[in-house]
Amino acid sequence: MDQISESKIIGVATRRVDGPLKVSGAAMYASDHHFPGLLFAWPVCATIAKGSISSLDTAEAEKMTGVVAVYHRTNIGPLYRVPPASGFSLILDEKRPPLEDDEIRYYGQYVAVVVANTVEQARAAAESVKVTYNREKPDADSKLRGSPLTTEKPEEKSKRGDTAAALRSAKVKVDSIYTIPAETHNPIELHASVAVYDGQKFTLYETSQAVVNHRDVLAQMLGVPPEQVQVITRFLGSGFGGKLWPWPQSALAAACARNLRRPVKLVVSRQMMFQSVGHRPAIEQRIQLAADLDGRLTAIEQEYVNHTSMLDDYDEGCGEITPFIYSTPNLLVTGGLARRNVGNPTAMRGPGAVPGLFALESAMDELAVSLKMDPVQLRLKNEPEIDESLKIPFSSRHMKECLTTGAERFGWANRTAEVGSMKRDGLTLGWGVAACAWLAARTETEASVELKQDGTARVACGTQDIGGGTYTVLAQIVSHETGIPVGKIDVVLGDSALPSGPISGGSWVTASVTPAVLEAARNAGQRLLLTAVKSENSPFKGRKPGELEFVGGMVRLKGQAQSAVPMAEVLRIAKINSVAGTGKSAGTLGAAKPEFSFHSYGAQFAEVTWQPEIARLRVNRVVTVIDAGRIMNPRPARNQIEGAVVMGIGMALFEETMYDRRSGAPVNNNLADYVMAVNADTPQIDVAFLDYPDYKLNALGVRGVGEIGLAGIAAAITSAVYHATGIRVRDLPVRIEDLLAMPRSDSAD
Amino acid sequence: MAFDEKENKPKTSLGRLSRRSFLSQAGAMTAAAAVAPLASSPSPAQTAKADATPAFPGTVSVTLRVNGESHAIQIDPRATLLDTLRETIHLTGTKKGCDHGQCGACTVHVNGRRINSCLALAAMQQNAEITTIEGLGGPGKLHPMQDAFVEHDGFQCGYCTSGQIMSAVAMVKEPWGKTDGDVREAMSGNICRCGAYPNIVAAVQAVRRMS
Ligand code: FES
Ligand code: FES
Repeated sequence: MDQISESKIIGVATRRVDGPLKVSGAAMYASDHHFPGLLFAWPVCATIAKGSISSLDTAEAEKMTGVVAVYHRTNIGPLYRVPPASGFSLILDEKRPPLEDDEIRYYGQYVAVVVANTVEQARAAAESVKVTYNREKPDADSKLRGSPLTTEKPEEKSKRGDTAAALRSAKVKVDSIYTIPAETHNPIELHASVAVYDGQKFTLYETSQAVVNHRDVLAQMLGVPPEQVQVITRFLGSGFGGKLWPWPQSALAAACARNLRRPVKLVVSRQMMFQSVGHRPAIEQRIQLAADLDGRLTAIEQEYVNHTSMLDDYDEGCGEITPFIYSTPNLLVTGGLARRNVGNPTAMRGPGAVPGLFALESAMDELAVSLKMDPVQLRLKNEPEIDESLKIPFSSRHMKECLTTGAERFGWANRTAEVGSMKRDGLTLGWGVAACAWLAARTETEASVELKQDGTARVACGTQDIGGGTYTVLAQIVSHETGIPVGKIDVVLGDSALPSGPISGGSWVTASVTPAVLEAARNAGQRLLLTAVKSENSPFKGRKPGELEFVGGMVRLKGQAQSAVPMAEVLRIAKINSVAGTGKSAGTLGAAKPEFSFHSYGAQFAEVTWQPEIARLRVNRVVTVIDAGRIMNPRPARNQIEGAVVMGIGMALFEETMYDRRSGAPVNNNLADYVMAVNADTPQIDVAFLDYPDYKLNALGVRGVGEIGLAGIAAAITSAVYHATGIRVRDLPVRIEDLLAMPRSDSAD
Repeated sequence: MAFDEKENKPKTSLGRLSRRSFLSQAGAMTAAAAVAPLASSPSPAQTAKADATPAFPGTVSVTLRVNGESHAIQIDPRATLLDTLRETIHLTGTKKGCDHGQCGACTVHVNGRRINSCLALAAMQQNAEITTIEGLGGPGKLHPMQDAFVEHDGFQCGYCTSGQIMSAVAMVKEPWGKTDGDVREAMSGNICRCGAYPNIVAAVQAVRRMS
């Protein structure tokens, strides 16, 4: 693969091209769209988690002022199921179309939808729809291991050697159970759909991290060809995985627009965000480690169970990272699903890796304590040479340097191992560390680049910018290739009618778009050279395209700067408005025989302060070192890692969706009771990138940084809590009650 | 504050369509589908036109002063200031994140003070001076706080950003101490799920140092 190492724009901190729109309120998010004759829809949500509808009385609601229609199972019209997914098409988590039958399987399941002239009228009428239920006792139990699984026994996910034998003969062992409660993505933008139907074509303004898949799914559900559906997400108020696949409100809004032939807006309420648009499932994991006295791992065994919904199988995949992160001859990962009366879980930032690494890295810290070994040294000692699960080399792995660089920046050498032994300003300090990794990949991508007579370029790709800076990344790539300044590059994203682009998931967008956009820009440049040699009055008329080059926005004879003519001038002379090129690149995922193991790596160091007198715990300082290939745009990349650390503080200390055992309702269904980290919770965060380009993944050597920052951070924090207090919290989030169980220290300093 | 439409015009298609062209194209729905706008850029005259909302049964007449302009509108008496700004006056820069006063995305200024517009009934704001993010500055003519947010990358997805900026502009005039910790405390009513907090603090402090 070619390598592009020199660039004036790749790797250079660049202001976001969409920044001025976002800071002035001019960027158009899904629910900002308005059309003449727009109606508002408000769903009616089940108030039980298990049972069936015995009666649904809409008479009063229908009579209310402003109400246009009330839809339910018998009058919503056809909504079809979607065929099995292939590749990145036709994916959705909740496969049952809304209102399909009268059975209720989770609290908040939609049972009807009201459409009215104003949002206030729709909401009031929805509250007036009278539903009676045959109520059954729901199962929303958070205890998972030991309860019946969806398969006869846990499935084997990865295996080598004989863990049972190694555990039997181990010199040192860890055997612990870790739990993570259900977590809700809670992007600040509510899920929303604005559906427009003209009698033939649906134009759907959606909150989507994957517009092309969303189009394919909705076309199937509505029973129309994909050409008759266009999905648009110009800006997304982030998603964290919760907006990857369509949720029921999208089909509801489209069906209402179809029935009424009027545009319909449906904005999900914050309460509904806890019920019917996905969440990270509750997870229980048992980790067993075996090691020699010198700290060398001899076995890793991981058993996880996550909850899923009654109809669909969502597997969190907690063993994602375990098989390759450390060297060990014996390894076993198993996973199982337990059904509960909850909405369907879905991928949440760093699915699998984030909960998996909380457990594994906590266990590694416990092992270090048992061995009386420094936890950084323990990890360095178990660094593998190759990916031992796939028996292939790593494309580019600098885990050791992440750990040593982080240790140095953090001042780790000053750590004293004894619990509660470090003090500052009357506070007890706790220092913890964790390693992390995340899958790197490219997915199939198409893109087009147009060079225009007005001196600008346009680049289009059916991917999305969910906040990571994709608009700016595409402008940088085209600018690098053409020499046209970033400010003159028009980036068009978020539309299923554009060349098919990657989903905004897996941290894959930057790696995926790079080859396709480079190729499209090169092809457009070739077309420009052809134009230069063919057009009348061109100074290059009669030359061969191969004698010319397109450099710095100019066409010139190879290596001859004085012959340069600006692109705009070449096109003006030719009387051509624009020349275009397309690019297409294949994916790396799902390769039958992968040559390399592609991942990003990192190390997280956390300092907590503990004041036992007032039971106050704070995360005070975090150092994060990331090896994610070359960093395309350091400014938003740093921002994303810092943001992930902030989310990780929430994961470690605050976040938990609580289901009422009696009703099955997520009871803390609002942003006051589901606590997320705010500005005042933010520690001092030091982010460092190692910046080793991974040219085996693409010509620019970029991988992606969206998810890795959340991996490992919770374990670093709970290990720091242990170091400060002697309390090992294995059930997230850390509660003050957990820490109050500690024996009071009577040290006098 | 009125917009200078000329200065306000962004260079790329990210913000090329004006509200006028947007609405006229939206009239023919097939055309609307083909030219989905990325950005709204309302000017007062056009907004006034958009205010000619049909008088649905159950609505009442109110007049609101927003960004220095009067809007005579028909609204549901239960309508919040937030929904009225977004759905009736079509100033969609103000965002809804919770509708419960818990996230700060809907922050606007009423008589110079920051409030959560989801907690205010529009009908009760008739004599107030309301300022929204659009009144602060457009994409081509940014207020110093807006510019600082771009310069310091004080956002990712941008959804909480209008609220953060409105909060920050008000906060700068409130009696807070000088430290980063003061800013963090003063800005903790505005949740950013993307976690751009360090950069938000940097942007606010840059503006405070300037003034
Ligand atoms: S929408 Fe008003 S505070 Fe959240
Ligand atoms: S920038 Fe996304 S919520 Fe703040």
